[in-house]
Amino acid sequence: MSGLLELDGLTRRYGDLTALDGLSFSVPSGRVVGFLGPNGAGKTTTMRAIFGLTDLDSGSVRWNGAPVRPADRRRFGYMPEERGLYPSMLVGEQLEYLGRLHGLSRSDAEAATGVWLERLGVAERAGSKVDTLSHGNQQRVQLAAALVHEPELLVLDEPLSGLDPTGIDDIGAVLVERARAGCCVLFSSHQLDLVEDLCETVTIIDHGRLVAAGTVDELATAGARRLVVRVEGDREAGWAVGLPGVAISEVDGGEVRLVLEEHVDSQTVLAAAMAVGRVTEFSFARRRLSEVFREALG
Amino acid sequence: MKFVLIPALVLVVLALRIWLHRRRRSTGGEGAPRPRGRGRREGRPGWEPPLGEIGLVASREVRERARGKIFRVGTVLILAVVAGAIVIPTLGKGGKTTVPPVGVVGSLDPALGAAVVATGPALGVTVKLVPEADLAAADRALRAGRVSVVIVDTRRLMVDAAISPSDGSITAQLVGAVAQTLGTDEAYISAGLTTAQAETVAGAKPLPVASLTPAPKGKKFQSTSIIGVILIFVMLNQYLTWTLIGVMEEKSSRVIEVLLAAVRPIQLLTGKVLGIGLMAMAQATLILVFAVSLSSAVGSDLLKGTGPGDLLASLVWLMLGYGFYCWVYAAAGSMAARQEQVQSLAFPLALPMLFGYIMALTTAGTGNASTLFKVLAYLPPTAPFAMPVLVGLGQVTWWEFTGSALLSIGSTVFVARFAARIYRRAILRTGRGIRLRDAFSGTA
Repeated sequence: MSGLLELDGLTRRYGDLTALDGLSFSVPSGRVVGFLGPNGAGKTTTMRAIFGLTDLDSGSVRWNGAPVRPADRRRFGYMPEERGLYPSMLVGEQLEYLGRLHGLSRSDAEAATGVWLERLGVAERAGSKVDTLSHGNQQRVQLAAALVHEPELLVLDEPLSGLDPTGIDDIGAVLVERARAGCCVLFSSHQLDLVEDLCETVTIIDHGRLVAAGTVDELATAGARRLVVRVEGDREAGWAVGLPGVAISEVDGGEVRLVLEEHVDSQTVLAAAMAVGRVTEFSFARRRLSEVFREALG
Repeated sequence: MKFVLIPALVLVVLALRIWLHRRRRSTGGEGAPRPRGRGRREGRPGWEPPLGEIGLVASREVRERARGKIFRVGTVLILAVVAGAIVIPTLGKGGKTTVPPVGVVGSLDPALGAAVVATGPALGVTVKLVPEADLAAADRALRAGRVSVVIVDTRRLMVDAAISPSDGSITAQLVGAVAQTLGTDEAYISAGLTTAQAETVAGAKPLPVASLTPAPKGKKFQSTSIIGVILIFVMLNQYLTWTLIGVMEEKSSRVIEVLLAAVRPIQLLTGKVLGIGLMAMAQATLILVFAVSLSSAVGSDLLKGTGPGDLLASLVWLMLGYGFYCWVYAAAGSMAARQEQVQSLAFPLALPMLFGYIMALTTAGTGNASTLFKVLAYLPPTAPFAMPVLVGLGQVTWWEFTGSALLSIGSTVFVARFAARIYRRAILRTGRGIRLRDAFSGTA
């Protein structure tokens, strides 16, 4: 299983509002791609455009180099932001039905339903109506609906929201597993630490435009140097305020993350820290994804 | 039967053409070959629903509707109403109504006695004659209710209580019939007729009357038409409400995005109306068969004289009516933002149906179709009610019936295209409701 999803110059306007503004990026197979952006950045519109659920003013969505056709979309899996299943339909029957709509035979749909319900820990609820399940289990069933036909492209809009840590671990593991199996996986989330753990590649958009993209390593090591400093007894990092060429990125529980301009000597920073107390931590660090995100958005 | 057979043949030919067209498309492919993932349908053995994704959607609709309480309870309720309409009028006729015998004081000519007894069957009763010894005995028998009427010396009748002209009871009818029989006999005697002459006069039959145009069907046919129109209205409303709510539910439960990620809107919409239509046809056929069987079993004359063609014509127009309106209701359902809007959306759509229904009821009641009503029988929104009535009244030819059916089918194609466009624009639009102009222009 391999494929390549390419979005090229997607533009979508709703009256005066521009939801997508020439957005381009690609999703290769074998990787989990995190799709980030603030609320209203155009993530959901982008995902809907992949499935033809919104009309584009311009641009194209290509699968393996060719425009996406209805037949291609039956091999894609989609978990929309607004979760949706038939409330009064039985879980097992619902998944079989969706599997068959995606091209599975009856027997294969039945078998795949059993496999995915088991894999996601909701096998015992196969005979229950969806609206009798807890939020977490409905989320698992919704993911199973996106996976039941073993899609070649998996697009998930906020798949981890509202889940407990166990659910996050389970679903995260499935995403990584599908990517390892050669599937293209694109998912959006506001939980940046989870994205950092799960994704190899990240795409960040804002106002419908691409603002940053690359592997997590590339993004983490790119840009200005970062120092992590901890001074005993100091929780506000007031000593760092006003240091020339130094900006405070984050202060968290006594640990301050500083961004150094190129000309700044780190020894100057160390001296300033030592002047207010005993320095217990002083090291260079990679950019966190949250920092990448904030800096990308300006 | 030709009312139904010819349109049915047209439908079969159309369905065959659509099937062949789809088959050519599917075998011709959509371009690049599809990779064979695990368990894809192509090349797999086993039964697959016809029409691909449309068939799958329709199958789900059929399964879910058949399981639903609304369908089961609704079917039972309609069957109960139909059974009541058929059985209740027969209850008075089921057992022979009895009346007390006719008392006789003095002598009564045997031939005249036989004539009195012969009045019974026409009233649905058995008339027996019992001799009374004298007037006093007859008086007692009348007061005790042992006899209904007493014939005194052939020329006079006695009853217990006076009978008013508006009294429609069996006893009153019997008294009237006996009085008429005896009065006629007395007239024969006064005229000096011999017994043979009197019998010839009594056995007189009316001359046959030829007419230039066929006679309109009788009251029974009218009542059958009224029941048919009521059933079409009730069932059509039920099926269309299913369609409206079904579309609305898919939108409000947000499952629509998951579905449309796999199938095209037109496939989903077609499958839905087809599935509901199949259930509607199954239910309507069940009710029709039930009505005919029950009517035959209990000896009801409600459907007597109503040919299978008349009944099938009603079924055909129920389906044509559903076919025409279902798209409109589906489009309306896709435009709703909330469940509470269903009623307000359904009401304006039901107005043409209501108009056709009332006109059809009125015409079926009077038995005379006005020019306006005949025009309504050709307009697709009102034809499902008007045309079955014209068929019931025998005031339409087969080619007029077929013409109206073809007009309805043609209009349905137009309406379906229009509705599919609205559906596609509106079904994914959540939040506030969508205006028709926005849905059609694509600004949604």
